Amino acid sequence: MIADLLGAVRRRAQGGDALWRREERTGLAFESGRLKSATTTEEAGVNLRVVKDGRVGVAGTTAADTATDGLLDRALASAALGETLDLTFPPPSPLPHVPTFIDGAANASLAALIGVGQELVARLNRDGCQLNVAIEREVSETEIANTAGAAGRYRATGVGVGVDLTRIAGDDVLMVYDQYVGAALPSAAELDALVRSVTTRLELALTVVEPPEGALPVIFTPAGLAAILLPLEQALSGKAVLQGVSPLGGKTGERVFDERFSLTDDPLAAGRAGSRPCDDEAVPSRPLRLVEEGVVRQFVYDLETAARAGTTSTGHGRRGIFGKPGIAYANLLVGTNGQPATDAWQPGGGLAAGLRNGLIVEDLIGVGQGNVIGGTFSHPVALAYRVDRGEITGRVKDAAVAGNVYELLKRIGGFGSDGRWLGTRFAPSLLLEGVSVARR
Amino acid sequence: MKDRLRDALKSSRADYREIRVERTWSSAVAFRGRRLEAATASEDVGGLVRVLHKGCGWGVASFTSLDRLPAMVARAGELSRAVRLDDPIRLAEVFPREADAVLDLDGDVRGVPLAEKKRLLEAYNGAMLAVGDRVVDTQASYRDEVSEVWYANSEGTLIYQLRPEVVLSGTAIARRDGVIEKGLESLGYRKGWNAAQGRETGFRAVAERAVALLDAPGVKGGTYPVVLDPELGGVFIHEAFGHLSEADFVYENPQAREMMTLGRRFGKPVLNVGDNGAAAGLRGTSPFDDEGTPTQDTALIKDGVLVGRLHSRETAARLGERPTGNARALSFRHAPIVRMTNTYIAASRGGGTFAELIKDIPLGVYACGAFGGQTLLENFSFTAAYGYMIRDGQVAELVKDVVLAGNLFQTLDRIERVAGDFQWNQMGGGCGKGGQFPLPVTEGAPHVRIEEALVGGDVAV
Repeated sequence: MIADLLGAVRRRAQGGDALWRREERTGLAFESGRLKSATTTEEAGVNLRVVKDGRVGVAGTTAADTATDGLLDRALASAALGETLDLTFPPPSPLPHVPTFIDGAANASLAALIGVGQELVARLNRDGCQLNVAIEREVSETEIANTAGAAGRYRATGVGVGVDLTRIAGDDVLMVYDQYVGAALPSAAELDALVRSVTTRLELALTVVEPPEGALPVIFTPAGLAAILLPLEQALSGKAVLQGVSPLGGKTGERVFDERFSLTDDPLAAGRAGSRPCDDEAVPSRPLRLVEEGVVRQFVYDLETAARAGTTSTGHGRRGIFGKPGIAYANLLVGTNGQPATDAWQPGGGLAAGLRNGLIVEDLIGVGQGNVIGGTFSHPVALAYRVDRGEITGRVKDAAVAGNVYELLKRIGGFGSDGRWLGTRFAPSLLLEGVSVARR
Repeated sequence: MKDRLRDALKSSRADYREIRVERTWSSAVAFRGRRLEAATASEDVGGLVRVLHKGCGWGVASFTSLDRLPAMVARAGELSRAVRLDDPIRLAEVFPREADAVLDLDGDVRGVPLAEKKRLLEAYNGAMLAVGDRVVDTQASYRDEVSEVWYANSEGTLIYQLRPEVVLSGTAIARRDGVIEKGLESLGYRKGWNAAQGRETGFRAVAERAVALLDAPGVKGGTYPVVLDPELGGVFIHEAFGHLSEADFVYENPQAREMMTLGRRFGKPVLNVGDNGAAAGLRGTSPFDDEGTPTQDTALIKDGVLVGRLHSRETAARLGERPTGNARALSFRHAPIVRMTNTYIAASRGGGTFAELIKDIPLGVYACGAFGGQTLLENFSFTAAYGYMIRDGQVAELVKDVVLAGNLFQTLDRIERVAGDFQWNQMGGGCGKGGQFPLPVTEGAPHVRIEEALVGGDVAV
C-alpha cells in the first residue's frame, strides 16, 4: 500500500515519506474487583508527507478504504501553503535487530489475560478499598518508507497492566497506583513485584503523620521523579534549543549536573515498550547518551528540526496518523544499565536508612503545569512518606515540595538500589538535598 | 447509513446492542514564531459497537473500517459472553426516540480553503508578535471540524447528529535575560468559520500580559482572602468538585458514596453548582448523550447542599436514580463513560458586582485565568495565569506565580460570596478522564470570593 502511494508521490512531487500502521488492542477493565468489560479495537491509517517545490505538506487518514489519491491531494494542498525547508530523507540502510514482538503476548488468549487480572484481584482485594485493574494487550504492525529508498517494517506487541487501590475513610482519600508495561506478558516475578509494590505502599500509607518542614533531604522514587525529569526531557529536545527556550541550549560539553548523573535514550532496549528498529521517519535506531557523567552531550532531533538546525536526525521522529512528525524519546534511562533491582518495591530503595529527617515523594499533584522547562517546580504531594531517624513512619498529607531541578541535580545525595522501569522510563530513587518542604 | 445500522443491530440476539458511527472532517493550522508549522486536512472514520448479554459484562469493539461492522457486532457479543457477572449490569430506562439533530454550521469550514485559514491564524499570531521584541516565541493554532454521528440501539433509538467545532489558541512567550513568562489565549465554539473571525484583540492582550509579567513580582506565599475570576472559578468547580459528582466515582464504592451522600452540606447557602448539557451553543452541549439519553440541566449543589450527580444509564440503574445524559465518548475509539458537559457555579441572586465583592478586603489576591489545574480527589492545585493583589478594597499590582493549593471540602466551605456577573468561558482544550482527552466541555462562573486559601508562589528554595 505504501509502495503504491510513494509511486504516486514520485510522479507528482519531489519526494516524500509515509507511515502505515495497524493496531489491534484487547482491553479488560476490572472495577471494584469485578471484570466489567472486554474491549477490542482495530485501527489502521496512513500518514503521508510530501515535498513539492521545496515545500513540505502532511495529510493523514483512517478512511483507508477510499482511494489514496484524495490523501495525496490533501498532502499537496498542505505543501502549497508550507514554508520552504531543505528536508532530506534518509537513504536505505540496514536496521538493527531489536526484539519488539513476543509471540506469547500476541497469542495470549482472552482467558489468559482475564487470568492475569483475576490473580491480581485475588491477591490485592481487601476490605474498605476499591480495587481497579486494567489490562491491555496491543499487537501492531508498522511500515515506513520514503522516496530515497529507506524502508522499515516491524511488528510489535505491548502489554500494560495497571492496578489502582482507592481507600476512603471519612474525607481522607488514599490512592495507590502501580503498573507493569512491557512487550511480553508479565512473568510471575513481575506480578509478584507489582503486588508487593502496591501492598507495601498501601500499608505504609495507612498511618498519617505530621509533615516535616524546611529545606530537607527528599527522596524522589522512580514514580516521583516525573517532576524532576520532565524539565530535562523538554530542555534536551532539539526543538527547544532551536526556539531558544532550552536552559541547556549551548551547554554541550559543559558539566551541568552531578558527575554521577547520566541520561540515555535507548530504542534498542530488549522487550521495552518504546523499542523499535527505526523511528517513524525510517531513521535507524541507536542508543544515545544525552547526559554523560553530568555533562550535556546531545540533544534529540527529528528530520525537520534537524534540517532547520543544520544537523542530522538522532532518530527521534514520532508520528501519528494525523498531523506531522514530532520529537519523542523511545526509552529514557537514568543511569545506563536498565537492569531492574530485585528490591524495586521498597520505597526509596534503601536511601531512607541514612536520613534523620526527610520525605519520600511517590506522586505529586500538578506535574507539567506552569513554566516546566525553566526547572522551577512547586507541587502539593499526592503520596509521600515521612522519614524520621532512618525509619519510614507514615504518610504525609497537606504538604508541598518546591525547588529548581537544575540546582538540585548539581549535587545528588544518593542513588537508590531500586532501579525499575515505569512505562518507557528507567530510574532508581534519587536523594536530593535542600528541597523546600512546606506544610499547608 | 441508518439502514446499515439497523441491519447490523438485527444480526445480534444479545439483550442490548448499540452502534455509533462517526465521520469527521477536520483541518488544522499551526504557527511557531513566524514559521508555519503545519497546515493539514484530515478525515477520520470509524465506529463502535457495545453489547450486553444477560448476566454478562460489556463487550465493546471499535474499528476504522466500516466494512467490518457486521463482524464487529459479532465480536462484541463474544466479548460480552466472556465476561461473567453474578451481579448483572442493568440500564436505567430511557424512552426510545428517533431524531435528526443538525446544528447550524455557521459558515461551513469545509468550504473554506486551507490558505484562508492560514491567513486568519497568521494575523492572530502576528498580533502577538507585534507586541514587541520581548515576545521571543509564539505558538498559535487553529483547528476546525465537522462531524456526522449516527447512533442506534436495540431499543429503537436512532439519532443522527451533525455538528461543527472551531478552536483557536495562542501562547506568547516573553523573555528578558533569565526571566521567562507566558500568556495563553484559548477560544472554542460549537460553531463554524464565522465564529473564528475578529479575535485579534484577545491574542494581543495575552502577549501584552506576558510582557507585563516580566516586571511583576511573584506573589508572596501565604494565606489570603482570594477572589477567583470567572475563568478560574469555572476551572476550579470542574476540576475540584465536578469529577467527584460523576457517579462512576461512587457507584461501586460504599465509602465514596458516603463521602458524597446526597443531603451533605458542601458549602454556604450562597453556593449553587450544576451541569447543563442542554445549554445553547456551548462546546459541551449536545441534545443527546452517547447512549441516546436527552441532556438536561442537573443541579449538583443547591443552596450549599449536595442534591445530585451525573449519570450514565448504568450508574443511574445501580444507584436507583435517573439518567442525566452524561454518558459521553471522545470518539468512536472509546465507549461512553460518565462525563461533565457544561459545568457552572451559578450567579447569586443580588450577588452584586466585582467591585462590591472586593471592597471590604484589606489584603487579598485576585487570581485570574488558568494555566492548569489538577486534583487528586480531595486535594487540588491550580496555577492561575496571573493575578493582582487586592489592597484596601481595590485591585492593586500585577503578580505572578499564583498557585492555589488546598483541600476541596475546606475550600468549598470557605466560598463566602458569589457575584452576579456569571459568564461561560468559551475556551478550547478539554477534559481528560480514563484515557479520553480532550473531550469538549465548557465551564462557567461569576466572580467568587473564598474567605481564606493558601497561595503558593515564592516558596523559598
